[in-house]
Amino acid sequence: MHIFGFEITGYQLAFVAISGVTVIAALGVVLVPNILRAALLLGLTLIGVAGLFVLMNAPFLAAVQIMIYVGAITTMIILAVFLSNQVMRIGFSQAIYNPILAAGAAGILFAFLFITVANSVWINDPRNIIAAGPANSDVGVEAISRALLQPYVFPFELASVLLLAVLVGSVVIAKEDKPGA
Amino acid sequence: MHSAYGIPIWWFLTVGAMLFCIGLMGMMIRRSAVGMLLSIELMLNAANINLVAFGSYLKTPVIAGQIFTIFVITLAAAEAAVGLAIVINIYRLEQHIDADKITAMKL
Repeated sequence: MHIFGFEITGYQLAFVAISGVTVIAALGVVLVPNILRAALLLGLTLIGVAGLFVLMNAPFLAAVQIMIYVGAITTMIILAVFLSNQVMRIGFSQAIYNPILAAGAAGILFAFLFITVANSVWINDPRNIIAAGPANSDVGVEAISRALLQPYVFPFELASVLLLAVLVGSVVIAKEDKPGA
Repeated sequence: MHSAYGIPIWWFLTVGAMLFCIGLMGMMIRRSAVGMLLSIELMLNAANINLVAFGSYLKTPVIAGQIFTIFVITLAAAEAAVGLAIVINIYRLEQHIDADKITAMKL
């Protein structure tokens, strides 16, 4: 496909669309005063990141992202918003500090990062194009499971212990303290 | 053109940098603790994008990027659970979750 004289693949169009949705939704997460809408926009951002994972040849991670992030974490945040329902009523001026200062600081950091990223020479040059497709790489679900159970088995088990500790700990923290109980 | 996808790596890194900076901005301007947690999730996702991008753009793609991303997602779930439990507890004790006004460790 040729647009303005450049050859543009469908993947590139998909990338531009998905990353545009992701970044705009992320700006909404930060700037929308209503925290419930911000949490819902966070869900949209996370779905966009899952789309980027698909474009990076990691479909299993996209599924994990949607199941855990969109399915669990966003739900948990919305539940917490409902449980602390005074958050719903604060206005924009109360919800946010000086946005210009913060945007300036973040913009300076982004300028540094972008200059560094855009001026670096990446492997697979000269055209910086990914050479690995699904055919000639071993990064599928099978490789992930094999890696989790062979070289990374200790962190894997440690993560399960951590999740158990977090489960118990968050119940203990959120439990209502009854005097005398 | 024998490339499968045709997307340069620095596009992904730029999106990751954008998400990180937006999350950083959110950390600085949000007052409520839940809003700060949302910004933390944004920054973690930016890091995940970078990990997966570097893992799959190597000349021989490695699985380590995806594995580390799985661990980051696990830790993010754990962090969100504990953080929101703390937020709910603070709301029950103080009737607000303004991070500036929470100054006491013990109430």
